[in-house]
Formats: sequence, structure tokens, C-alpha cells
Amino acid sequence: MKVKIGVTGGKGGTGKSTVATNLALGLREVRDVVLGDLDVEDPVDHILLNAELKGEKPVKIMLPIIDYSKCTSCRVCVKVCDTGALLSSREGKPFILPRLCSGCRTCYFACPEKAISEGGRILGYTYLTPVSVAGSSIKLVTGVLREGEEHTSPLVLAARARAESVADDVLIVDTSAGTGNNISIALKGSSLALAVTEPTPLGLHDLESILELTQIMGIETWVVENRWGIGPDNEILETARKYNSKVVVKIPYSRDIIESYIKGVPIIKYRPSSRAGESLKELVLMVEEVI
Amino acid sequence: MLEIVVASGKGGVGKSTVSSSFLYYLSRKDKAVTAVDADVEAPNLHLIFGINEWEIVKEYREGWIAKINYSKCDNCGICRNECPFKAISFNEGKYVIDEVICEGCLTCTLVCPQKAIYRVRSVEGLLRGGKTKYGFPIAGAKLRVGRPNSGKLVTEVKSLAKELGGGGSVYIVDAPAGIGCSVVSALAGSNGVILVVEPTQASFADVKRMHKLAKHFMLPSALIINKADINPEFTKKILNFVKQENILYLGSIPYDDLVPKSMAEMKPLLEYAPESKASKALVKLSKLFEEEIVDNWREWFRKYKPKRPEPYIPLIIKPTQNKVRR
Repeated sequence: MKVKIGVTGGKGGTGKSTVATNLALGLREVRDVVLGDLDVEDPVDHILLNAELKGEKPVKIMLPIIDYSKCTSCRVCVKVCDTGALLSSREGKPFILPRLCSGCRTCYFACPEKAISEGGRILGYTYLTPVSVAGSSIKLVTGVLREGEEHTSPLVLAARARAESVADDVLIVDTSAGTGNNISIALKGSSLALAVTEPTPLGLHDLESILELTQIMGIETWVVENRWGIGPDNEILETARKYNSKVVVKIPYSRDIIESYIKGVPIIKYRPSSRAGESLKELVLMVEEVI
Repeated sequence: MLEIVVASGKGGVGKSTVSSSFLYYLSRKDKAVTAVDADVEAPNLHLIFGINEWEIVKEYREGWIAKINYSKCDNCGICRNECPFKAISFNEGKYVIDEVICEGCLTCTLVCPQKAIYRVRSVEGLLRGGKTKYGFPIAGAKLRVGRPNSGKLVTEVKSLAKELGGGGSVYIVDAPAGIGCSVVSALAGSNGVILVVEPTQASFADVKRMHKLAKHFMLPSALIINKADINPEFTKKILNFVKQENILYLGSIPYDDLVPKSMAEMKPLLEYAPESKASKALVKLSKLFEEEIVDNWREWFRKYKPKRPEPYIPLIIKPTQNKVRR
């Protein structure tokens, strides 16, 4: 991997996946591109690209298996477990609630009797899908969390690692909504981040959190204003300036985007000369220039 | 007391618009309601009710962060190899812990042969509560950026809400995007789920995942289609799903430019533009919500709870031989 670009934004539904898929296809004209969909709770990039996921690999995390013949009921494992996955019965024997376990292995290292061995639990899956849209081929790596599982970070990590391992040139990662450590794990190692936002106080509020995060991580960030025109945007420009960022492109709100979304063909291929298509092409050119 | 979660899986499909409308509508009808913003990473509900200042702001310090004592560290690198979240890297001659990734488990502390790693409590966020100008209480929180375990904070938000709202209140919980930790915490202990979906393949795929999670919790669901007119053909697919899965279909909301405009004014849509087509649809939905769910919850539960229990079953891999720790 020569260069990594993160697409994020904070608020949900601002257009992260739209920007990521269009950017990936646009850059494909000049570079070799892998797109990593690291929104493992709700991955949709394959839907926007009209592709069926392929190349499934399970993501396994550690699950403590307790050997009760060695356990002395000292409760050390229960005390060190941060997630509350280990509880002790009245007699002091520990038992595990798998859903709550993050697979951190702290109990395994803490048990003075070496009574805990490493079992595993499948948290979700990663996929590697070759995608071809209107003559442009990219590889898509997707992480998918099993429904009912809570600990997303090991899966984001596994999907990121798989995306990085197949990317020879450019890797674009699409993060989930939010501002927690799932986002920072996805963004880690990026040389550029795109924060996609919309001109509402809600978009603005979450944009500020994302800019704060990328500032802590030392990642240069550009703001992409999507659904431009639905509200006043002077505060977005101000917030971007405050964090030494800038609004690089404004994507007008249009019916074309919705149609391309429904058709499963990103707008840069579906209607390249629409206003939204033109602004995304502009973004591709700017990104191409810096990488 | 009734606790209803508004969720969608995908972000930006209208959870906060629906939650705020229900809250506004019920409060106008003199029902005791409490707003609960379970999105602690990107909290937005308070903005719709025009809240800039919170009456209650409490530090939330439940989390931990690992620190390295460099006078003891001999750069062996074991911590980096064992960190389950890959939060430790070697940088400019020393090992550093990335504070926006570390989840605060004790693994590095325990494996360090030099005992050079310790962990400290960190302020993980702010728990916030107050009263909206419409008279009902609101509870929320803001997790510090880059921090994990948002679910624990969601549980705190819900208990703060209970303190503010009291026993007789209807709690409307605005869930975050996704189906992970904080969504699970939002669902835990609730009485039902309102699913919000857009007629697009992406939103539909996500709402199906969300509904599966609701079934793990044996919760009844009701569904609302937002922006129904952007892709009318697709709504049929959703209606089939509603029928198959035994979900109460409440109705749909048309796309309306006034929705983002009301956000810009930081007002609930029903107050900002009561005559708009989205408002009219939302009033109708709120009325149905009141009659079918708030006033008649038992009936709703009886009719629409999952027919068969669909508990979460972990996929466990037993170790083939007992790997003994070194």
C-alpha cells in the first residue's frame, strides 16, 4: 500500500459511502484502487456498487475456556475483566458471557493457576470482492459484524488488515458513523481524511468532533460538503478553518444522486456530467493531485 | 413506564426526526415524555430541541487508558505484539500507546516483563441532562473522540433519564447508527422498537439487520418508511418484509425540503412547519404511535412480539488441545 485515504464524517447518512465509492471508481482511471468498507455494523458499499460479497473469511477473537479442575475460585479473572463478561457463581467459580467478551485475553494472562485456555469465537466475516462498474475494476474489502455481536473494534481491525494486505497502490477506507475508536482504528495510517458533512446544525456538530479526532491523530483532513443547498453553510466553513481544514468541494443536493443510489451505479459512472457528478470528478482530481 | 427505541441501522434516515416528532406530539397532548439520546458518539437530538446549555453535566470516568513508564521500559516489544487492539506502535525509538485506540484492558500491563505499563482512569465523556423548552426532560452524553465502549455510557444515559423522567413517563430512545455495542445497550431493557427505513437497498439491508437484533431481544417492532416518494416501487418490497416478519406498519413520510430547514432553525418540524406535508404525515404517525403503542402497549406486544424466540447464539470454537500458557 502506497497511500491510504479515509472517508469519514461523524453523522450518519451524510454521504460517506457515496463519496468513497465514487472516489474509488474515479481514481481507478489512473491508479490501482482497493476500497475498504470498514463500517462493519452496516456495510453498504457493495450495495452501492451492486456487487455480491465474495471470498468470505471468518474473524475469530479469543474466548476464554476455563478448566474447572485447575480453577481455585480466586476470582482474579472476574476482577480483571473490564467488559463484565466474566461473572462468578456463589461458590466463586467463574463463568463467561460470550456476547460481552471483547477477546482481550487479560483473564488468560491474569489467571494464576493457568486454568484458562484460548478458545475462539466468530465475531463476523471479512470479504474480498472484485467489482467492475462501467469498465472500471476495483477490489472491495468488506467487514460484516454478526448480528447480536457488540465488539466492533476487532472486526474493523481485521477488515483493515485484509484491505491493507491486498492494496498495492491506493487504499480508500469508508468508516462507520460516529466518532469513537472504531473510527480511529479505521483511519489509522491514513495520509488524508475526507470528512463528509451536510449543512445542518447536526452535521456541523458531528463534523467538529471528527475534525478534533483527526487533529489528535495528525491526519490532514478535507471537508466535503454534501447535500449542498439544503441549509446555510457559513458555520461549516468557519469550523473547517478553526481546525486548519478547508471545504474542498460542495456536492449539490440532487435527484441524480438518489437515482444513481437506487440503480446501484455510482454517479460518477451513472451521470458523470450531472452537477453532482462534476463535483465528484473535481474531488477525484484534487485527491489525485496530492497523492 | 414505557421505553421505545427508534432505530434504523443505517445513519441519516430520519431517526431523530421521528423521535423528536413523537416527543413533541405527545408532550403537546400532556403526556409525560422523556427524550433519551443514545447516540453518544454523534449526539444530535438536543440540537433539534434548541438546547445549547445543559443543566446537568457530569464527568464519566469509567474507562481506563494504559501508560508506559519509560524509565522501566526496555523496548522488548511484547506489549505491541500482545495488544488485542493494535494500539501500541514503535515510533522514534520507543513504544507508544495510541490514546484514540486503547480500550484500557489490562493485557499489556500483565504481559510486560518489566512491569513498566500501568493504567489510569480517564475521563471518557460527559453525561448531560436538562429540560427542553417544551417542558419535558432530555438526557444524553458525549463520548470523548476516539474512545471505546460507548455502550456503557448509553446505559448511564438511560439511568440518568429515569432519574429525570420518573416512573410514569414514556421514554423515547433515539438510537445511534449501527447494530453494535451502543445499539445493544439502547435496546436492553426497552419495550419495543420503531424501525425507520428509506426505500433504498442500502437502508433496507441495514434495517433487516436491525430487526434481527430486535428479535434477539424478543421485542415487538413497528416500521415507518421515510422519504417514501423517492423510490415508490421499492416500498412494496418493504411492505412484504413487514408482513412476513409480523411488524406493525405505521405508515410513511414523504420527502420534504422543510425537514433540513427545520433543523437549521433548531426546532422540531411539527412546530416549525406544521402545515408541511412531512409534518402532516408525522402527526398522523404520532397519533397512531400514541393509540397503538403508548396507550395499548400490551396489545401491541401480544400481537407483534417475535413468534419464535430468536436468541443470540455465539459461534464458539473450542480449543483443539489445551494450549498451556508459557
